[in-house]
Amino acid sequence: MGVSFVKVYKANCNKLFLDNMVNENLVKNVVKEPYKYGFVTDIETEKIAKGLNEDIIRLISQKKEEPKYLLDFRLKAFRKWQKMNEPDWAGLGYKQIDYQDIIYYSAPKQKEKISSLDEVDPKLLETFDKLGIPLTEQKKLTNVAVDAVFDSVSIATTFREELAEHGVIFCSISEAVKNHSDLIEQYLGTVVPASDNYFAALNSAVFSDGSFVYIPKGVTCPMDLSSYFRINSGDSGQFERTLIIAEESSSVSYLEGCTAPMFDTNTLHAAVVELIALDDATIKYSTVQNWYAGDEEGIGGIFNFVTKRGKCLGKRSKISWSQVETGSAITWKYPSCLLLGEESVGEFYSVALTNNLQQADTGTKMIHIGPKTKSTIVSKGISAGNSINSYRGLVKMGTKATGSRNYSQCDSMLIGDQASANTFPYIKSQQPNSEIEHEASTCRISEDQLFYLQSRGIEFEEAVSMMVSGFCRDVFNQLPMEFAAEADKLLALKLEGSVG
Amino acid sequence: MEIIEQIKTSKSIDNQTEIQKICLHKLQSSPLPNPKSELWRLSNKSKFLNFLDYSINEKDPKFDAPYPNTSKSNIRLIIGENCQINLIEKNYSIQHLSEDALVKYIKEQISCFDQNENWSDLLNLSLSCTKNILGLKISGSKIPPIEIFSHASSNALNAKTLVIFLEKNCDIDLLQVNLGKDNSSLSQSTFFCLEENSSVNHGVVSYGENKSNLLNSLNVIQQKNSEYNLGSLHFKFNYARFEISIKQSEGNAKTNIKGMQITKKDEQISTYTKIDFRGPNGFLDQINKSLADDKSHAIFEGSIIVPKIAQKTDASQLSRNLLLSNLAQIDTKPQLEIIADDVKCKHGATISQLNEEELFYMRTRGITLTEASKLQLSSYFQEIISFIPVSKDRWDLLDKLLNEN
Repeated sequence: MGVSFVKVYKANCNKLFLDNMVNENLVKNVVKEPYKYGFVTDIETEKIAKGLNEDIIRLISQKKEEPKYLLDFRLKAFRKWQKMNEPDWAGLGYKQIDYQDIIYYSAPKQKEKISSLDEVDPKLLETFDKLGIPLTEQKKLTNVAVDAVFDSVSIATTFREELAEHGVIFCSISEAVKNHSDLIEQYLGTVVPASDNYFAALNSAVFSDGSFVYIPKGVTCPMDLSSYFRINSGDSGQFERTLIIAEESSSVSYLEGCTAPMFDTNTLHAAVVELIALDDATIKYSTVQNWYAGDEEGIGGIFNFVTKRGKCLGKRSKISWSQVETGSAITWKYPSCLLLGEESVGEFYSVALTNNLQQADTGTKMIHIGPKTKSTIVSKGISAGNSINSYRGLVKMGTKATGSRNYSQCDSMLIGDQASANTFPYIKSQQPNSEIEHEASTCRISEDQLFYLQSRGIEFEEAVSMMVSGFCRDVFNQLPMEFAAEADKLLALKLEGSVG
Repeated sequence: MEIIEQIKTSKSIDNQTEIQKICLHKLQSSPLPNPKSELWRLSNKSKFLNFLDYSINEKDPKFDAPYPNTSKSNIRLIIGENCQINLIEKNYSIQHLSEDALVKYIKEQISCFDQNENWSDLLNLSLSCTKNILGLKISGSKIPPIEIFSHASSNALNAKTLVIFLEKNCDIDLLQVNLGKDNSSLSQSTFFCLEENSSVNHGVVSYGENKSNLLNSLNVIQQKNSEYNLGSLHFKFNYARFEISIKQSEGNAKTNIKGMQITKKDEQISTYTKIDFRGPNGFLDQINKSLADDKSHAIFEGSIIVPKIAQKTDASQLSRNLLLSNLAQIDTKPQLEIIADDVKCKHGATISQLNEEELFYMRTRGITLTEASKLQLSSYFQEIISFIPVSKDRWDLLDKLLNEN
C-alpha cells in the first residue's frame, strides 16, 4: 500500500509540474473566444449623407417629425459640442475619430407605420431571433418586455398593451416625443445636460432613438423591461438615448443588451441614459454589453463612449446599476448616481472583462448631496491578453450630506503578464459626519486553488471558469435572473474558448 | 511673480552654475506647472502664487533651533550655514560629496525629469546656489544620528538642496527638519541614493508659522536589498506640498512609509507619492494620515506602478483621513497601475471623524470631551510619530501637536 501511495504521489507531482509548465499557455488560450454575434443582416436601409452640421441635425429632426423644442435642444447641444474638445484624461490610445466620416442616421426601410409585429420585416425578426431575443410575443419564454433598437431606430416593443393596463409607458423615445411630449420636455436633459461632456453633447445633437419608460405612482412594473441594441451598418454611428422616470413609490427593473457585427472599421457608439427616481422609487438598470471588440490585432471594434447617470430626486429613492462589460474596443463609461433625496441609495456593481487589445476605462460616480444617503460600489476587473482595464471612480460627500456612507471595493484579476489593471479612485469629502471606505486589491488565478480543483477531477478550463465566476459572484448576484445566467455564460464562453 | 520673471529671463540670476543653467533652460518654455494636470489640479491657485510672491534670498537667515542640541553624539547640520563636514572615524565616515560627483548625479536625475511632474525640483535647482546645496557621502555602521535643518527667512524665498549617497552596507538614522517663518517660502529638494544592503530611518518634520509656504520634494533611489523607512509630518503651513518619488531600481528592496499632514485654519497641505517598482520582489507598506480642521484642505494622491518586470511585488497603501469640521475638505486618491500578474497589491482609503462610541465610552468614565478627543488624536498621531527617528526626551512631537498646534 505504502509503495503504491508513493508512486501515485510522485505521478501527481509530475503532473503538477507539467501542469504548471503548460498552465501559462493554457490560460492564455482559454481567454480566446470567437465573437458569436459578428454577422451582418442584409437589409435595405435608409441612410443619410455622411457628416455633421446643422443641416444634418435639422434633417434628422425633420425625419423624426419632432417638435420645435427638441430641434432647439439638438441645435443648442451641437453648438456647444463644436466648442468642446474631445476628452483625453482617460489616456485611452485610439486613432482620432473623424466625426465628418460618420453617418448619423440609418434605419431599416419599412412601411410608414407598423401596427403590429407581423408587419416588421421578417429579416429583422430573424436577426433578433438569432441573437436570442424573441420579439414575437407568442415566443415569450420569460416575463420580459423588449424594445429592440436596430441601428438608429426602434423596431419593435413587445407587451405594450399588457404594460399599458398598469399605466406603464414603454416605447421608443421617438414615439414618446409624439405621444408624451410633456414628459420628454419636462425631463429630457435634466440629468445629463446637453453640455455635460463631449460625447453627451454629441448624443444630444444627433440622438436617433432609444427607449422611454414611465412608471406611474405606486406601480411596480409587472415584468422586467428590456431594450436590445444592435448596430448593423459599419459606417453609421449609434446614438441612442434612454430616459426612465419612476414616479413615487414605483419600481422597475430594466435590462439592456448590445451586439454588433464584425467590421474592420471602428464604429462609434455614444449613448446617454438618464434615470429619475422620485420618492420611494426604485430603478434597477442592468447591462450586458457585448459589442464587437475588434480582432486580436485590435482592428475594428466599437468605440463605446457612454454617459449614464441617475438622479435620486426623491426621499428614500434607489438607483442600482449593474453591468457586465465584455465587448467594445474602447469602453468609456461611468454610470453615476446623484443622491439628492434624503436617505436615497445608489449602487454600482460591475464586471469588466478585457482581452487582446481592448481598453476599458469604467467606474462610477457617487455624488452624495442629500443627508443620510448611502452608496455601494463593487467593481471587478479581469484583464487578459494585452488589454488595459481601469477602474475610475469618484465618491464625493457634499457639505449637506450628513450621516452619509459609502463603501467601495475594487478587485482586479490579471491573466498573463501583458495585461494591465489600474485603479483610480477619487475620493472627496466635505462633510465630517459621513464615512467613506474604499478598498482595492489585485490578484491572479491562484495556482493553489487551480491545483485543488484539478485534484478533485475538475478540468483545467472549467476550474479557471469557476474561479472567474466566483471572483465575479458579488456582482452576478445583483443581476436579474435572466441576465445572471447570460452573464455567467458569456464569461464562460469568453474564457473557455478553443480549449473547452 | 518676480521669480517667474527671473526664470523667463534667466540672465537676471547671477553666477549661474551648470545645474542652474540646465534647469532654467527646462523651465523657460513653460515656467509654471499645468494647473489642469493631475498633480496640480487641486492646488489652491492663490496660495501657490503666494508661494512665488517672494524674492529669492541668499543671505543667511537667523536659525532658531526647535529644540536644544543636548546630545553630543548627534551630528547637526544646517543647510546654508555650517555645511563643512569631514568626519572619518573608525567605523564610519561622513564626507562632503565632491562637486563633480554632485553635478554628475543631479544631471543624471534632471535628464529624466518631466516639466510638470518634477516642477518643484526644477524650480529648486534653478534657484539653489552652491552654498545652499549640501552633498554628503556616508559609509560604515554605528553612525550617530544625523540632524539636518533647512530654514526659511521672513519675506523671502529660500531654496535648499540636499543630496545623500549611502554607500553599501551602511545604515543610518537621519532626521530632516524644515522650518517655515512668518511670510516665507521654502523650497526643499532632497535626493537620496541607497546602495546595496544599506538602510535608513528617515524622518521628515516640517512645520511653519503664520503664512509660511513649503515645496518639499524627496527623490529616493533604492538599489537591491536596501531598506528605506520614512516617517514624515507636515503641519502649520499656509500652503505646503510634499512630493515623494521612490524608485526601487532593481527590485528586492523594502520601503516603509508612514506620513501625516495636519491642516487647520485655511491651510492647504498635500502629499503626492509615486512608488515605482523597477524589479522583482519589491515590498512597500505605506500609510498616509490626514487631519483637516476649520476651513482647511488636505490632499493625498499616491500612485503605485508595477510594470511587467516587477513580479512578486508586495505593495499596500492605506490612506486614513479625519475630517473634523464642516468647512474643511479632504481629497484622497490612492491609485494602482499594475501590469505584472504575480503580485500582491492592495490599497484602501477611509474618511471619517473621531469615533463617537469611543468618545462616549471615555466620557462615561469621567473624562472630559476635550481630553477624550485628545486621547483619540494622540493614538492617531502616535503611529506616525513613533516612526520618526527622534527621541522623545529631546523633542516631544506628540506634545507639540496636541498642545501647541
